[in-house]
This record gives sequence, structure tokens and C-alpha cells, in this order.
Amino acid sequence: MARMRGRGMAACWYGIARTATVDRAAAWAEIDDGGSAKIVTGVTEIGEGILTVLAQIAAHEMGLKPEDVVIGDNDTARAPEAAHAGATRQTYMIGNVVALASREARGKLVEVLAKMWEVEPSTIRTGNGFVWAENTNHKITMGKAVECCKQRGVVPVGSATFGTDTTGLDGTDGAGRPWQAYVFGCQVAEVEVDTVTGEVQVLGMWAAHDVGRAVNPKGVEGQIEGGIVQAIGQALMEDYELSNGHTTTPGFAKYILPTSLDVPMMNSIIVEDPDPIGPLGVKGIGEPAMVPTIPAIMNAIYDAVGVRITSLPATPEKVLMAIREKQQRENQMAVQAAE
Amino acid sequence: MAELQIKATVNGRKISRSAQPSQRLLDFIRDDLNLTGNKEGCGAGECGTCSVFVDGVLMKSCLLPVAKAQGTQIDTIESLAKTGELSVLQKAFHKAGASQCGYCIPGMVMAATAALRSNPFADREEIKERLGGNICRCTGYQKIFDAVELARDVQNGRLPATMLDGIDAEQGDYIGKNVSRIDAPSKVSGKLKYAGDMLMPDMLHVHVLRSPHAHARILSIDTSAAQAMEGVEGVITSADVPGEDGFGVFVHDQPVMARDKVRYVGEAVAAVAAEDPLIARRAAAAIKVVYEPLPAVFSAEDALRPGAPVVHAYAPDNITKHIPIRVGDVEAGLAESDLVIEENYETQAIEHAYLEPEAGLAYVDHDGVVVVISPSQNITHHRHMLAKIIAKPIAKVRFIMSPVGGGFGGKEDMIYQGMLALLAMKTGRPVRLVFTREESIASTAKRHPSKTTLRMGLMRDGRIRAVAFRMIADGGAYGLSTEGVMRKAAILGAGPYVIPNLQMDTIGVYTNNTPSGAFRSFGALQTQFATESHLDIACERLGLDPFEIRRINMMRDGATTHTKQKLKSVSIGRVLDAAEKASGWEKGVSGQRNGRGDLNGEGLRPAVALGARFVGDTKQEAAE
Repeated sequence: MARMRGRGMAACWYGIARTATVDRAAAWAEIDDGGSAKIVTGVTEIGEGILTVLAQIAAHEMGLKPEDVVIGDNDTARAPEAAHAGATRQTYMIGNVVALASREARGKLVEVLAKMWEVEPSTIRTGNGFVWAENTNHKITMGKAVECCKQRGVVPVGSATFGTDTTGLDGTDGAGRPWQAYVFGCQVAEVEVDTVTGEVQVLGMWAAHDVGRAVNPKGVEGQIEGGIVQAIGQALMEDYELSNGHTTTPGFAKYILPTSLDVPMMNSIIVEDPDPIGPLGVKGIGEPAMVPTIPAIMNAIYDAVGVRITSLPATPEKVLMAIREKQQRENQMAVQAAE
Repeated sequence: MAELQIKATVNGRKISRSAQPSQRLLDFIRDDLNLTGNKEGCGAGECGTCSVFVDGVLMKSCLLPVAKAQGTQIDTIESLAKTGELSVLQKAFHKAGASQCGYCIPGMVMAATAALRSNPFADREEIKERLGGNICRCTGYQKIFDAVELARDVQNGRLPATMLDGIDAEQGDYIGKNVSRIDAPSKVSGKLKYAGDMLMPDMLHVHVLRSPHAHARILSIDTSAAQAMEGVEGVITSADVPGEDGFGVFVHDQPVMARDKVRYVGEAVAAVAAEDPLIARRAAAAIKVVYEPLPAVFSAEDALRPGAPVVHAYAPDNITKHIPIRVGDVEAGLAESDLVIEENYETQAIEHAYLEPEAGLAYVDHDGVVVVISPSQNITHHRHMLAKIIAKPIAKVRFIMSPVGGGFGGKEDMIYQGMLALLAMKTGRPVRLVFTREESIASTAKRHPSKTTLRMGLMRDGRIRAVAFRMIADGGAYGLSTEGVMRKAAILGAGPYVIPNLQMDTIGVYTNNTPSGAFRSFGALQTQFATESHLDIACERLGLDPFEIRRINMMRDGATTHTKQKLKSVSIGRVLDAAEKASGWEKGVSGQRNGRGDLNGEGLRPAVALGARFVGDTKQEAAE
């Protein structure tokens, strides 16, 4: 009995955007010369891929290609408020508001062309850098369309604001409406526990998460995979330690992080239960991705070797100690039974 | 010490430059040659983001004295796309979605380039081993392995080069498509400038003096010796704050620099701006602070005991925030349960370990606007707080968010931007501060360590009757996000389950430990760890499958949450089904399920390969 395998699972839920307060965000959009676009909003990439998501949303809504969308810098003096990069709120709050601003800009452009072509605005289609009217021969590039707008004294711009219908919590019983969108997730972990060393290796993870609507599935997977590996760190090795207020883990030589050698095979399953409130149906994934991982791993360790780790991290020392205690208990019971 | 004259070939160009013997190759490349593509992540050879080629060999440039570069050929990340076209490997990183924040990526690309040079046929396990010296905190590595495998196959002609191209969506429908990241080319090439890569003309360098005590009264601060040093342009302490001195996410209880007393080891006490980083460091060391140590408290339980040292006068009981949630009658619910399970759970403090340590610049512009550039996760709130701190109208404060090299909540706190603004105002010159890894770890927020007692009452059929949940969390010396973390912990902690009787209490406590703050999953991680572990204990006692107990109890469409909110659509059932199916889950009670022995048996999922154990000569095999 050296290496034992086990599987465990855990579920989770999470709220999208700021908690128990009204969240809000704003954006400006412009369909620009040459059929490109400018999006200005108070947001900057923190690594999750929001810039790409916003470019996709703007391109989709305005009929352009994502590479033709320029996103302005996050600057409190130059961009409208979109508040913080956190709380699993960016795709939901800023994605939705960029969609609304883009729709307004597109509406201005469509209005000009409908008049020019003498067609109903609802028959005008946009996509991949072209504008056309259904069932007609009218089809021009977006660059040409912007030129037509400008010749008629119109700059196709839009702005929008998006807010949540949420409340604080009651101070006595906690009643309230903290979020308007919720997501759910479930992960299965497969581990191998070395009963000689106590070492746990996570071999595989299967992660199913509802994200509302995935704007960029590969980006969603990236969030899930990154979340799982951070959670493996907390589950098995990371520990910021203090001695009388002084840290004893002051650098990466002492503070152990997961490396490429600790990574399991990760399988993401994206579930889409669209948000009925926002214009896009999107929700979010950043934080919920790492919530079920740790209990799934602890449940898998139990499945493998019958010991329950309730105090994180499940270091080799801790797992080995628990295995020995369990063996001692079993031996004592065997002795008692024999007597 | 005598200056060195370094002659070397850097990215194909001959250079001859003087350098200080104390410089590391990394400083020489970044500061003297202004090649900022390779980053400093740890300064100790642990993270790999500074990796360059020295005579074709992958080296961590933070570990090499600059003298070692004499006469060598050095290639940095900038060498790979010198013609303007990305290398196959860089393109593969772009295509595979292998970069997120991008800060580790220059080093990762260098290491992967070295791996494929060493063995153009390296398999996935060998690739993992060869990247083992490079830390990435965002991606989970999987897409990085995918990228290296893609590059390998394109280089070897097994896959066509068109595999590296972007996608074109038909009908212009770009939602739901794997559009390649628009920021990736700037990250895989090292072109993107993070705050620590930015320079301004006439810029000063900042060093912060930090508290060596966990809890002490400040009797005096004498900055005269530091002020008198040549090259020192400004020294600030809390006496230089003109406005309301406080920041925090929910309660503004933290001064820009310690005021009257210090509350944790690593707290900022004073800051110096000088012509170069070395002078700034020496000047900070010349500041004389007289402390009177105070009794300190190092655990949340101790802080709650009567007579414990008080960390903040406004909170004599040391409680930062207590969030209660109440549904039904929990004691009656436990009494009528068939089975009551009680267990304690503990989670530890965790460091965000974003690869980019904190960094920022500040200046006062021509209109008298105080401008701060930093990888802040919340510039909207920061400008409100800074306006009050420096007593200026909001329109005279401008925050610019620089690219963030990983945040995970850790860059929501305005931990250093106040000092930058004050020094820019005091010196009238641009100032820059770049944290060392040690400084980042010691002085910034952590995930709240927590202790939970959970009592759950269930009926024999698996239905939860009652839950009594109490978590105490160590919030450390300042409030930061503690209130919000306690709130999210309380709202979500009992899980997406129908619980007729619930008593939930989450309590954040002040101590003299490093402050705890926002960290991805924000309290929900600690509490749901307890609940989800507890449900498996219940499974074992009741003879249920883990998926089954969750289905028995899960909220359904139209459910009412623990905070009495009515939900419309609830997707927990769908995600349970999806995970169960995808994993090929074998039904049964934990620890008693069969199927562990025959992982490759008929109708069973294949065994998962154990990561990172490459053996044998794959190069040989591939050649055959």
C-alpha cells in the first residue's frame, strides 16, 4: 500500500459583481473613421482577458472585427467610471454596458443609412466590417458608412450606464438582495496519496461552471484552470506564516507556490444559464472557479486513504500524521476485538 | 569599488558600457540598457521571469553579477521578435491563450524556447519539467503547455503554420468564439510596459521605511540626517499629510504612514525620494524612529478575550465586523434532526503572489493635478480617498491604471499610492516606487485565515434540517476589505442548499498580524470549504453518494436564498449533472466506492496520467 487514489467532489455558488450594494458602470463608444471603433471605459486588464472580451462584444454589436476595436486606458480623468477590477464583475458590469453603448452608436449610424437608402432601420444589418440592407443591393464597408454619416453631420457615438437592482443586508437577520446574478459550479478531483510520504498529487480535475454566456470560451477555461491551480496551492502547500508578527515565509524560497509539476489534467465544462436581466446574458467566472477545488481535493483524499483533513494546507506531514493516527486507531480496535 | 567596463553582444548588437560591480545582470539589462521586456519577479532566482540567454544558455539574470556578462552574448525576450514578427513559439502562446497578466510570460517564453532548442520533440511531460523553474500565478500552466506543444508541432512540420492564425467569425458573430487575446502580442514580446518598467524624465526613486514592531507607540521620528544627505529630495512622515489621513475599502482606518503607533511588522513609517534607489535606501536607514513597544495580539481568539490589547481605539472589542444571518429556529431544527454532525475547520493565510510586485509613479501636472499611475484594481475609489488625504478637490486627483501583472484582490488596497502622491507634491518631481518581493509579501494583504465551527442537523433521508455556522477570521492590523469578506462569507457559506433553520455568524477581528484583505473568492472559499467537507462527512454517516446529498438539498428554480432573496433560474442541478457525467463518476459512498483498482476497465474512464514524470529518451523515439 504505497499510492492510493481517490476521487471527491464539491459544489459552489457565487454572486456576480459588488456585494450588497448598488453596482454601476459606464462606457462611451464611437464608430470611428475607416470602420474602426473606440471604446472608452474605466477598465484595464488584470490578466483575465477583459480587453478581448470587450473587443468581441463591441465588434459583435457594431458589426466590426475585434481587431478593429481600440479600447481606451483606464484613467479617472479621461474615462467614465466603471469602478473596480474585481468581484467577478467585469464581464457582467462592463461587458453589458459596452454592449449598450455600442448599440447606441450603431443606432446613430443605422439611422443615417436607412434615410440614405430609404429603407426601414430594422432591415439594416451589420457584420465583420460591412453594412447592408436586407433584400436590396445596398452593401458598403463600415468605413464608407462612417464617411456617409460624417458627410451628413453625424458622428456615430453612444454612451450607456448599467446598474444593479440590489440592496444591503438587514443588520439582524441578514435579509437582502446582495446580487442580481448568481452562478453555480461543481468540481471533481482525482488525487493520488503516497501513504509512505504523505504527499498528495492532484491528477485530474473536472470543473463544470455556469457562466451565463461564455463570450470567449478559451478565456473561461483559462480562468477555471488558473483558479484550480491557485486553489491547489492553498489546499496542499501555500502557507503565509508569522512568528510574533514577523513573517517566516518572506520570499518564494520559503513561500511555496504551485509550479508546472503540480498541475493536474484539467477539464472544463462550460454551462450556460443566461442572465435574464443584462442585455447579453453573461455572468462571470473569475472567483467561483476556485471555490469548490479545495473541498473536492479534501474529499478525494478521504476517498483515497480514509483521513479527513479539516485544517489547510494538507501538507505531507499533516496527511502522514492523520494516516498514522488512523492506523493506530484501527490497530487498537483490532486488539480490543481480539481480546 | 571600481567601475566595470562591460563589453558584450546584446540582442545581436555590440555594447560597451560602464557598470557598478554591485549590479546584477538584470539591473544592467533593465536599468542601463532599458530593455524592460524581462521582468523582476522575486530577485532570488525562484520565479524565472528574468530568464535570458547567456551564450545561448537559459539563465536567471537576477542571480548573475553583471561582471559575468563580460564578453558574452546575451539575448533577452526582445531578441525573439526583433524583425517585428513573433517567433513560432510566441505566436503559439498567442493562439493558445497562454498569457493572462503577462508578467511571467517573457521568462516563460524564454524557458520554452530553451526547451524546444534542447529537444525539438519534447513531449508534454518533458515540457512540464523544463518549465519547472518558472512560476505563473494566473494561467494554471495548462494553456502554456498547450502552446509549447503547438509550437513544437508547427516547427516539426506535423501541423501547418495556419494553426497559428486567428479566427474569422462568419456573420460577424464574435460572442462565444475563441478570439485570440488582443493584448497577447505585447505580452509575449515583452513590449508591454508595467509601472515598474516606466520612466519619466527627472524621476526620483522612493524607498519606504517600515516598522520592525508588531505593535508600538511612536515616540519620535527624526528625519534630519536623511534630509541632509546628498541626493535626497524629500522625506515624508504622517506629519506631511494635509488632509484626512485614512484609507481602506470599507472603513478608512489605515493612515498613509503610521500615525502615533505602528500596528504590524512592515507597516510604512516614512518614505524617501532620492536621485537613485541606493541613496533612497541609505537615507531611509538614516531616519531615527524611537518606539515604545506595546503588548501585541497575534490571533483572532486572543483578540476577542476580555482584556486583550486593543488594536484600534474605535473598536475596543477588536471586532472589525460581525455579519449575522438568521433563518428559522436553529436550536429547534438541530433538536428535531436525526443526526447532528459537528466539526471544526481551519484555513490559513495565503499570499496573492502576483508575479508583478507593487509599483507606481506619481507627478504633479501643469494644471496642478496630482497624477498616480499604478496597477491599482480600483482607481475610482482610490481617487476619492486620495482627494481627502491630500485635501484637494476630486478633479485635482487623477489615477491611471497601468497594466496589472496579476491582482487577485491584492491590488485593491491603496497601500502605497498615498506616499507617491505626497512625495511628488513635496519634491515637485516625478517619483517612482517599486516594491521588492520581500516588501510585497510582508506589507500587503493576505487571505483571511479562519476558524469555523459547523454544526449541521440532517434527517435520515439526507435533508438538511439546520445549520449553525460560526467563523472567526483574523483581519490583521487594518480593516481593508474585512467587512466585505465577512459579508460574502456569511451570505454564501452555507452553500446553495435549502436550509430551513440557519444561524450564520462571520466575525472579522483586528490583530497585530499582517492585514488580511480582498483575495479571489473573498470569504466564500473559507466557508464553502467547511460546508462542502461537512456534506461528505454526512454522506459517509448516512450512506449516500456525494452528488446525491447535494441533489437532495440543492436550491431549485424559484428558490429563496438564505438572505430571503427569491431567485429565478438556479443552475446547480445542471452543473452537478455536467461534472458527474464528464468525470465518469462512480457512484457510491466516499471511501467505500469501488473502481479505484481497475481504472482502465471496460466502461470506466481511463486513468489520469500522473503529471510531470517524463522518462526515457523521447528525442530518440521521435527520431525513429
